Amino acid sequence: MTPTYRITRAAYLESLNDFREFIKGHCANAPGINVEILYDVQLAVDEACMNIISHGYRDLDPGSIILDLEFDPDKLTVCLTDFGHSFEPSNAPIADADAPIDELELGGFGLFFIQQSMDKMDYRVTEDGNTMILTKYLRKSVGG
Amino acid sequence: MKTEATHENNSTIIVVSGTVDALTAPDLAKALVNQIAEGHVNLVVDLIGVEFMSSAGLRTLLGAVKESRSNGGDLRIASTNPGIDKVLKMSGFHNIAKVFSSQAEAVSSFGS
Repeated sequence: MTPTYRITRAAYLESLNDFREFIKGHCANAPGINVEILYDVQLAVDEACMNIISHGYRDLDPGSIILDLEFDPDKLTVCLTDFGHSFEPSNAPIADADAPIDELELGGFGLFFIQQSMDKMDYRVTEDGNTMILTKYLRKSVGG
Repeated sequence: MKTEATHENNSTIIVVSGTVDALTAPDLAKALVNQIAEGHVNLVVDLIGVEFMSSAGLRTLLGAVKESRSNGGDLRIASTNPGIDKVLKMSGFHNIAKVFSSQAEAVSSFGS
């Protein structure tokens, strides 16, 4: 059976560190996860949680963010669920990293970093909430 | 997150430690803006002791680069953490500002 771990925190900036520490703790002894993969996963989760805090629960009382970590031999899957406003990833602004400094849009790096750090990103909206599913393959030959 | 500023030759060194995320980035922004407001426009931001930095930290650095340059100075980075280097490279920050692998190199790049 695939080991799965869950942490639930309120959608506050103060929770970001809890999510990072939770990931670090569970990845510490997991096979196939090095410091580079750990940083990538922490970065993607941090950016996704920031989007939920800033946009998902905008004009709403801050609700919960549920993080599920799923360890498979060939991949690490992170599911982030919230109950705020959903978004359409294909319509969300993404920073242009090649733009000159005067034209550089300071927003939009969040989604860009998620896409750059992880191998796969899915987003589902159901009556049970909005879930972002982030996958990191642990062996590049498998699925990516 | 902690910041510590010292002045050396022609530049001001700001050593940052801990994590720079959306919670702590405003404190870093304040520290950098205060230095520029005091006329210390040549800044070396030493990220060698930073364990984690997200896009919030990157936005802060980009804002400070613009601010220092518009005041006739510059902001340069010292960094050795591979994770942070990746964030700087992914965002194109390496093309915008100079990044050095030691504080001494960043400081000496400003001349004496």
